[in-house]
Amino acid sequence: MTARVLTAILAVLFVVLAFDAGAAHAQGAVAPVDAKVGPAPDFDPPRSATTAGKTVSKRDSVASPAPGAPTNAAAKRTKGGMVFAFWGFAALTVLGSLFVITRRNLITAVMGMVGTFFALAALYMLLYAHFLAIIQMLVYAGAIMVLFVFVIMILNKPEDEPFALSGRVGKVLAGLATTYLVFRIGSVLIDVPSHVTIAQNAAPAKTAAGDDWGSTAAVGMNLFNDYLFPFEAVSLTLLIAVVGAIAIARPLKDDEPAAEAATTGGH
Amino acid sequence: MNFATGDALYIAPILILALAGLLLVLAEAFYTGKDRTALAGLAVAGGVAAAVASIALYRHMDPGTHRYLYGEMLVADRTGYALSALLSVVIALAALVAPAHMRAHDWAIGEYFGILLLAGTGMLMLAHASHLATVFLGVETMSIGVYVMTALRRRSRRGNEAAMKYFLMGAFATGFLLYGMALVYGATGTTSLVAVRERLASGNLALLTVGTFMMVAAFAFKVAAVPFHMWAPDAYEGAPTPVTAFMAAAVKVAAVAAMIRVFGQFLGGEKLPYGTLGWASPMVVLAAITITVGNIAAIRQDNVKRMLAYSSISHGGVLLVGLCAMGLGSPSGQSALVYYLIAYALTTMGAFAVVSYVGSKQNERLGIDDWAGLASKHPAAALAMTVCLLSLGGMPPTGGFFAKWYVFKSAMDAQDQQLLWVTIIGVVNSAVSIFYYLKLVTAMYFKDATGEFTPSRSAGLTFTMALCAVVVLAMGLFPTTWLGFGG
Amino acid sequence: MPNLSTVFSDVGYAHFLVLGAVLFAIGVGGVLLRRNALIIMMSIELMLNAGNLTILTFARMHGDLGGHSFAMIVMAVAAAEVAVGLAIVVAIFRGRRHVDVDRMNLLKH
Repeated sequence: MTARVLTAILAVLFVVLAFDAGAAHAQGAVAPVDAKVGPAPDFDPPRSATTAGKTVSKRDSVASPAPGAPTNAAAKRTKGGMVFAFWGFAALTVLGSLFVITRRNLITAVMGMVGTFFALAALYMLLYAHFLAIIQMLVYAGAIMVLFVFVIMILNKPEDEPFALSGRVGKVLAGLATTYLVFRIGSVLIDVPSHVTIAQNAAPAKTAAGDDWGSTAAVGMNLFNDYLFPFEAVSLTLLIAVVGAIAIARPLKDDEPAAEAATTGGH
Repeated sequence: MNFATGDALYIAPILILALAGLLLVLAEAFYTGKDRTALAGLAVAGGVAAAVASIALYRHMDPGTHRYLYGEMLVADRTGYALSALLSVVIALAALVAPAHMRAHDWAIGEYFGILLLAGTGMLMLAHASHLATVFLGVETMSIGVYVMTALRRRSRRGNEAAMKYFLMGAFATGFLLYGMALVYGATGTTSLVAVRERLASGNLALLTVGTFMMVAAFAFKVAAVPFHMWAPDAYEGAPTPVTAFMAAAVKVAAVAAMIRVFGQFLGGEKLPYGTLGWASPMVVLAAITITVGNIAAIRQDNVKRMLAYSSISHGGVLLVGLCAMGLGSPSGQSALVYYLIAYALTTMGAFAVVSYVGSKQNERLGIDDWAGLASKHPAAALAMTVCLLSLGGMPPTGGFFAKWYVFKSAMDAQDQQLLWVTIIGVVNSAVSIFYYLKLVTAMYFKDATGEFTPSRSAGLTFTMALCAVVVLAMGLFPTTWLGFGG
Repeated sequence: MPNLSTVFSDVGYAHFLVLGAVLFAIGVGGVLLRRNALIIMMSIELMLNAGNLTILTFARMHGDLGGHSFAMIVMAVAAAEVAVGLAIVVAIFRGRRHVDVDRMNLLKH
């Protein structure tokens, strides 16, 4: 199915071109690229004091952390742990996903995927998305990957030749396109104001109802107020999936006539 | 609580479709009769009821007014209700044409009708979407439903293969859609399109541009714009004909409806698309390539379904021209697009109904040569097909002519150099396209029949063919009446 | 651009975002390179997870809980999509005993 590969390459190229256009537009942007929009979280220290690259002593001079935040000394103590956690889990994520796309054995690929999902759940925790981290583990590592494993067990066939693009040229082209994609997305994302380091930050401010940010209660309040409609509507999507999956995959009955003869007509 | 209790009234069409879909799923489970096609009645009733509700709400809304529902998740306005009425009618027709095809080709599966209506709720959501979450959910509900419907003829290996290709491509596009939405969210700090529009000026423009581009690419997959169209001919050919009809008519209308909302209304206007966002420049190029490649590929086809698939791809290109015109602030852009969608959806539905009618048991008669002499044996079906083909080709007495006319006129109104060139390409291609539509007409009228026709007759098919042909002619005879529906 | 000397010790939003971009690109690479339908589906899951990571990072950056709800809905939809995709894989396998998309050529061009 070369169409898939062709389409995918074209999609990548399209997006790559998009970045060039995006960069061009950003040059003459009305607003500065790092302008903060929306309700800025009130735990952001002023930029001047926290620009990346300043020494630790400079960073220690950040005035008045948000109420409830740990003191600077405490922040310094936890910082090493946070940085270590980020790099560790980030490495695990990337390694796991590389496993997925390089292994010939499907079970190995799935195990890499499980590692990726667990590491992502940990990263969500670093982002104070505690509820989502648990859901990530339950839904992805728990349900989706088990589904994959079951199907692999049913099929029980390793791939003959793991790479679709025949020839070194195709692989190199795909690799280059992908690398360039990373480079271009990265070059846009890296300009996102990152002066507020995660390590320095304590928990975000509590919600209006007094719940911890990202906790089950806080996400629940949001889900059942702002997102009530999509939350209800997603049940229909799940219903389609349940009914549809059974309709497609249930075993064929003997009294069902073969339809292949019917489909060959007209050729 | 940031929504009013009356909001439920405004989503009545969605609720009706969801309710009918749930009933059908239940009915399928407890149905004891032999012939599952009896469920079609309930599905048609659901679609018609949703259409009636849409029309009632259309008349209830004053022109030019809109109301946000459930905290800016959905927007209720005349355009939305016109499109949801159209989608509901297409859903009802897709249920109506299915039983004959199921009986002829032995795939009577009751789940078809339930999934048809549930996928329809996603489409209606897209017609009213004003939030990235509803756009995402609508696209996915619709797509997942259609993947399932493509694979429903379970003994057909072609059907399964088509479903697999369609699924992989569609899911790949979903990845792009989600990542694009994530970047737009990052640029503006909100997922509500209403708020996104308010914060366009202050947002992170580089992120916004990249995010918008990714969304353009994802939607290009969904409307099968070249070069993201490779799945379309295979999926159209492999799916059962009623599903193909639904795919070609309803999915494209719903995807374009979502683009009208996202790009036309919330990210467009006041020269914004070129000035700061730039989504129109790739879309113009996509439109030009899509129209041309779709037409050239259609000429080579000798399979009717594949020919109609490429024709539908090329029509997607014209729709993109309309979207660019609308995004660039052409005053007549939106009504022209809605007119085009109505004409296109009903024409396609009618054409595929004839395809389904002509195919008999064990022989789908998909080759153009198999259609030779149809006019002498079944003049009514041949006439309906001719009307539909003329409309697809944009010939004067039909809705298709005025559809192209209005869209290209709105593109001229946008007064944009690039769009002008694409319009010229579009007009030239319309002339070229008549060639392959006439090839089929010639086969039907001027060649002798090669074998006996034993069409799959059913009242539903006859009604669909008649309705589509009559409406397409009516749209051509009274174009201004229909043009008003765009709001 | 962040200062290179502190890029490892100062973990900020950009780090999470770039990680998301890398994950997304690996997913795209998987779709490009592999021909087993299951692996392609897993690669697509990687793309969706990259999207979720990006959304959650931006949610933290903007202090907006809406992103969490959005990510939750994405997860539900992804689960639904996987279920349908795997059902299609099973249906295909029943007919032809392999799920190699390069060898699916009944529908000719």
